Amino acid sequence: MSAFDRTSPPPSGSIRDFDFPKVDRRRLSNGLDLRVARVARLPVVSVRLFMRSGESALGVDSAGLCVLTANSLDGGTQKRSGTELAESLERIGARFGANGGWEGTSASLYCLADRLAEALPLLAEAVVEPGFPDDEVARAKDQHLAGLRQQKMDPGSLAHDAALARYFAEGVPYARPDDGTEQTIAGVTADHLRGYADANYRPENGGLIVVGDVDTAEVVELAERCFSGWTGSPASVADFEVTPAARERRVLVVHRPGAVQSEVRVGHVGTHRLTPDYFALSVANMVLGGTFTSRLNLNLRERNGFTYGVRSRFGFRSQPGPFEVATAVGNEVTPAAVREILNELEGIASRGPTEDEVASARDFAAGIFGLQLETVGQIASRASQLVVFGLAEDYYHEYRNRMRAVTTEGAAEAAGRHMRPNEAQVVVVGDADVVGPPLEALGLGPFEVTREQPGA
Amino acid sequence: MSLRVPIERHRLDNGLKVVLSPDRTVPVVAVNLWYGVGSRNEAPGKTGFAHLFEHMMFQGSAHVPKNRHFELIEKAGGTLNATTWFDRTNYFDTVPSHELDLALWLEADRMGWMLPAMNQEKLDNQRDVVKNEKRQRYDNQPYGDWAERLQRLMYPEDHPYHHTVIGSMEDIDAATLEDVEQFFQTYYIPNNAVLTVAGDFDSKSALEAVERYFGEIASGPPIPSIPGRVDLEPKLGKTARDHVVAEVPLPRLIMAFRTPPFSADDFAVSEVCQALLGMGRASRLHRRLVRERRVAKSVVSYQYPLLTGASMLLTWATGYPHTDLDMLESALAEEIEGLRDAEQTEVDRAIALAETDFVHALENGASRADQLSMFELFFDDPGRVNTQLDRLRAVTVEQIRSFALDHFGPDNRAVLTYEPAARGDR
Repeated sequence: MSAFDRTSPPPSGSIRDFDFPKVDRRRLSNGLDLRVARVARLPVVSVRLFMRSGESALGVDSAGLCVLTANSLDGGTQKRSGTELAESLERIGARFGANGGWEGTSASLYCLADRLAEALPLLAEAVVEPGFPDDEVARAKDQHLAGLRQQKMDPGSLAHDAALARYFAEGVPYARPDDGTEQTIAGVTADHLRGYADANYRPENGGLIVVGDVDTAEVVELAERCFSGWTGSPASVADFEVTPAARERRVLVVHRPGAVQSEVRVGHVGTHRLTPDYFALSVANMVLGGTFTSRLNLNLRERNGFTYGVRSRFGFRSQPGPFEVATAVGNEVTPAAVREILNELEGIASRGPTEDEVASARDFAAGIFGLQLETVGQIASRASQLVVFGLAEDYYHEYRNRMRAVTTEGAAEAAGRHMRPNEAQVVVVGDADVVGPPLEALGLGPFEVTREQPGA
Repeated sequence: MSLRVPIERHRLDNGLKVVLSPDRTVPVVAVNLWYGVGSRNEAPGKTGFAHLFEHMMFQGSAHVPKNRHFELIEKAGGTLNATTWFDRTNYFDTVPSHELDLALWLEADRMGWMLPAMNQEKLDNQRDVVKNEKRQRYDNQPYGDWAERLQRLMYPEDHPYHHTVIGSMEDIDAATLEDVEQFFQTYYIPNNAVLTVAGDFDSKSALEAVERYFGEIASGPPIPSIPGRVDLEPKLGKTARDHVVAEVPLPRLIMAFRTPPFSADDFAVSEVCQALLGMGRASRLHRRLVRERRVAKSVVSYQYPLLTGASMLLTWATGYPHTDLDMLESALAEEIEGLRDAEQTEVDRAIALAETDFVHALENGASRADQLSMFELFFDDPGRVNTQLDRLRAVTVEQIRSFALDHFGPDNRAVLTYEPAARGDR
């Protein structure tokens, strides 16, 4: 055995970069933007059908309609019942799902590549010719309402929802949860879903992404067949400006009697997906709270033992989404944890990250990008972002270079622009009788307690 | 479908079992270690220690200061974590393939030289972290005590699965540095571990690297026998019940059954039964309870494949606000017992989905490595990753019917129910 030095890390081998797979772009005769990437490692294929105009295009009275409509797609088509649809898909080992969100609706499919010719027509049928039979709609609606009820008693969801309303001004769609409220869902009928799908499940401005062991020409032919006769653009259009609920720091405690831990959120309005600061800000956020060895996690977890973990993230959307630090901490350390979170925010916003921190974050981001291209589903998810946000076709080919080009100064400037501790909204879901007084004593800003009973 | 995961097996002189599975299609490599120790090895008064110890494994080792393991892997663009379970503890790093040596060096350093880096401050810190983990995942969650209650119903007090992996606050509080030392010397030895490397590497040089980093770690004495009584009746012999009125949003019923140990021949039958019950939207429980009868908001079924005495098949049915729990129980029982009339078409559907899931698991180096480690540690046969699908395919509808008759009756059930406290006021 050759002698070696165990006391220091071994040298790296020679790097073997690999590129984001080539994505062919075609336009189907109905205007649908088709993107196909041939990845032939294994005989599988992943499909996403994205249709624009999501929850952010809905008024507050219709909140949750996009989400509920998508959830009801497994209820059957004009040709087959929900059970028949599920059996048709699963008989050939195909997994199908659909979900609605801020940007739009996405239907997805995962199956063995030699089953695509049978499976894609089923996805098309589910989306283009949905049935919305009354009993299935009633079922989906009951499930949705019961889900909202569960969220109201889940401390993490409760904190999330309460925080959104503190970050965004009333009337901004992002101020509410994307799946609506009991009031907006309770009034929904099968006709509403039918109307929503008919008006908004349209090929223009959306895209079909197919990644796997496939041939582009064959996919084009299959897709033309599946989606022929389907035309038009979505009727709902998102049209709003994001404004913050407040420009001053405020503290809200949502009382959860007997809680043995506090769910903590500290955040404010962030920025949008196409910001020129995207790469620099991503690096700054990784340093703050985007990795295990981030400042926040090393402080709150590894130094102080306040928490099992803490993360910060930007919700990058078409319009500025939330920027937020999220954690759960013990009751007695809640004020100290909030203080430390604000300290870390102030530190990075005013002084920026160090040279070493930026180098590590850059390397992490560039490296993990490759690691996350192992499966066709991961690649399809990335490729669908091209469509959702209208990113340049060579975006992922340039991704690592742009990440590696982030400078310490650039990350510091981005942090200073987009992380604003003085405007941060502090939201704590916990036992207000225990954590309220010491939190108020921190004197961070206007202080409020809500004692509305969850589920009431 | 005839996909095969390539497998090479080796064993170092110190007893470390090594599984290599090269796949050079993407420049990613997964390093995965399974240690043959879990919560079942915990003595009374030491519950939760295997998991707390797992946290201590990230606190540094002789040549790796605290946090450095994370720093180095993250800087390399990799990911890492670990989990503790009843029968084992696993550690895994996924890195760009040119950093394979780094991952091996880090794992070897803590397998061989962890103790010199331990101190009271680190133990106290991770004790706090684990207590917050327990609060976040269990104590502060609706239904958060379900595992504790269910395990008490399913396994007798002196059985190693009677207590949960997270353990009790008192026991976590009582853990000492001496416990850390003793646990390390007893269980974290090369002859109680499997190392799997899966992904982009050359076998010859990878094996040399493994030998270089792990070869000089001394082997230890045989692992002590599992505390408590490990034998178990194959069936519970009754319907064991626990009813909880608590601050929960919806009524929920958990029904569980003792099933054969992971190593038993008919475990595969049990797996297919579970698939018929809960795999996919056309599965029995979803179709009947959620879609047709609309008595459950959601249903879930899964299996704990366990080594000691008996595995456990679990089904969950979450009701609507006004769902009657007795009705929910009989509806659930009816569908599960109905497997005695299972049909070939539903078996075919479950197998078709299992085939897709099998290929999906192969897509990901980390999951491939994890399965190889598991099969090597538990069965001395990593090749089971390639025969697993055949084991499922070989299950006949007659076997399912008779398995259901044998295992899913009222003489082999634990029923745990949660009723929302607020409901009484309505």
